[in-house]
Amino acid sequence: MNSMILVFFRPFRRAQSRNKACIFVLISTLLLGTSCSDGTDGTRPANESSKPRVALVMKSLANEFFQTMQEGAVAHQAGSGGTYELISNGIKDEQDVTRQAQLVEQMIAQQVDAIVIAPADSKALVSVCQRAMEAGIVVVNIDNRFDEAVLQDKGLEIPFVGPNNRKGARLAGEHLAQQLEKGDQVAILEGVPGAINGIQRKLGFEDAMKAAEMAIVSSQSAHWETDQANRLVAALLTEHPSLKAILACNDSMALGAVAALKSAGKEETIKVIGFDNISAVQALMRDGRVLCSVDQHGDQLAAFGIEYALEILETNELPGDRETPVDLVTPKTLP
Amino acid sequence: MSGEASILRGFRRQLGVSLGLIFVLLGLIVFFGLVTENFWSALTFRTIANQIPDAVFLAVGMTYVLMIAGIDLSVGSVLGLCGAVLGLSMTRWGFHWVPAVLLCGLTGAVCGALNGWVTVRWSLPSFIVTLGMLEAARGGTYLVSQSRTAYIGSTIEHIAGASLFGLSAPIWVALFMVMVAQLVLSRTVFGRYMVAIGTNEEAVRLSGINPRPIKIAVFVLSGCMAGLAAISNVSRLGAADPNAGGGFELTAIAAVVIGGTSLMGGRGSVVSSLLGVLIIAVLENGLAQMGAQEPTKRLVTGAVIVVAVILDHYRNRMGRR
Repeated sequence: MNSMILVFFRPFRRAQSRNKACIFVLISTLLLGTSCSDGTDGTRPANESSKPRVALVMKSLANEFFQTMQEGAVAHQAGSGGTYELISNGIKDEQDVTRQAQLVEQMIAQQVDAIVIAPADSKALVSVCQRAMEAGIVVVNIDNRFDEAVLQDKGLEIPFVGPNNRKGARLAGEHLAQQLEKGDQVAILEGVPGAINGIQRKLGFEDAMKAAEMAIVSSQSAHWETDQANRLVAALLTEHPSLKAILACNDSMALGAVAALKSAGKEETIKVIGFDNISAVQALMRDGRVLCSVDQHGDQLAAFGIEYALEILETNELPGDRETPVDLVTPKTLP
Repeated sequence: MSGEASILRGFRRQLGVSLGLIFVLLGLIVFFGLVTENFWSALTFRTIANQIPDAVFLAVGMTYVLMIAGIDLSVGSVLGLCGAVLGLSMTRWGFHWVPAVLLCGLTGAVCGALNGWVTVRWSLPSFIVTLGMLEAARGGTYLVSQSRTAYIGSTIEHIAGASLFGLSAPIWVALFMVMVAQLVLSRTVFGRYMVAIGTNEEAVRLSGINPRPIKIAVFVLSGCMAGLAAISNVSRLGAADPNAGGGFELTAIAAVVIGGTSLMGGRGSVVSSLLGVLIIAVLENGLAQMGAQEPTKRLVTGAVIVVAVILDHYRNRMGRR
């Protein structure tokens, strides 16, 4: 095909080189498209061994949180003494829903025994998981819970293994409230609009702040990002000079908030709390610039899901959801 | 003497071109002053000034690229990559900040050179080449940073911490860059060549000037600007975020186009691009102070971008009459 095109265009030198260019671009785009989203570890066809084959379908591997989750899964598989086979895949960014659905379909085609999925969207991926279940595959939902209403509508039961984000955020909020006085002004930095875990964390923060009778003067999205949080907080400091605390729905945004406080010279008067317990924030907690964070043990989350899937495969029973631990992290609890 | 006078005349002409934008900017400032409590304060303007250097650097580079009828979609990712290199060299290799900053700038230059060389060597549209770089540089960023935020702290923060008249060092450097870039564009042979290439590349080639090195140089400059933007970004945050700069290329392009630079090449001004950046920054800051929710923010930002360009269009037509 390739050479045919070249032969066809031989008399027109310019056209030929253009076509070469087009083919080059086409091929490189294809390579790019596949190489950056397929992290397939093993693609052997089924029934080569009797070991159960578990597919892990992740969200963005670009995010530290999911990166450690995947590493945890790989470590779990290595530590299991090879009792099961792990195929792990991730998508390019957290919003690539279409690509994630394709991944699930590829896993169905590969006839895996179980799929452990951290869905990029809590509604859009339900139907493809339904197809997987109809094909006799055990599906376990981790990290981001499928929408209850959609599951009910389809008459599906997909067990969820994961942390209670709202509870975690409430723990952090309560810890913060102890250091504040009634009626103090606080602001919340939200995640990307629509992300369930972000919404849950925001609700948890609100629960704690309302219970302690604080005044939430602002709640806006900084899209999980350090730089956006930095700019947003700088603006908030101007508008609400008597702000006392900033509650960030993840640690990356907490970092941005701390930088904004520093340039405004308000590090001493305004407290910052985060969520996720990333390594960068641990340093700030030790300096006392971040009050606390929440660890939902992301490194073990996928492993919990896999264990659960193996359990279901063995017993053939469908037990309910399983809640994984969330812990408050303060400078005192840091190693 | 006469040289100075004509530079002044050039600036006045420049100001004339941007009058419509200044009008939009003032309109926004008045509006936000009325609807929020503390927008009209020195603090607001200092905050905005200290936040825009990243965008200003990118906009300067982007203005040049658009001048030659190209486009550089990779600047946001290159910013991320440069930042990651800066973070890596300072945290894991223990570099002093001076060599780390140089390495960061060099990374930007190399990415830009690659963009320029591939574009010129195979006569490809810069759109697709830089789109490839957008992906590749982000991949490189995740690789270099292992997808982790590198916390650097005070060893880098002092760059943004250094201040003169209440404004941080990066914004002074950015303003200086705008001045230099504007002078180069309007008063040097290199600048004339850029305008000529953007207007009619074939004519440039036929008149015996090789446009290739000039085009490569423009992409290298754009890459260097992304490197500078990364330094400003990382020093302001004290940390290198692997997702830094995502979608920033569109902000830069929007700012430059608001500033009246033509996407078709051959027409544009760096000073007006600065005004474009200011409009977007004032809008972002004002909406945040209002506490506007996400849908409102996006709707308003989109509308203001288009309205600014429409106003500028009418002002241009009036100017021509």
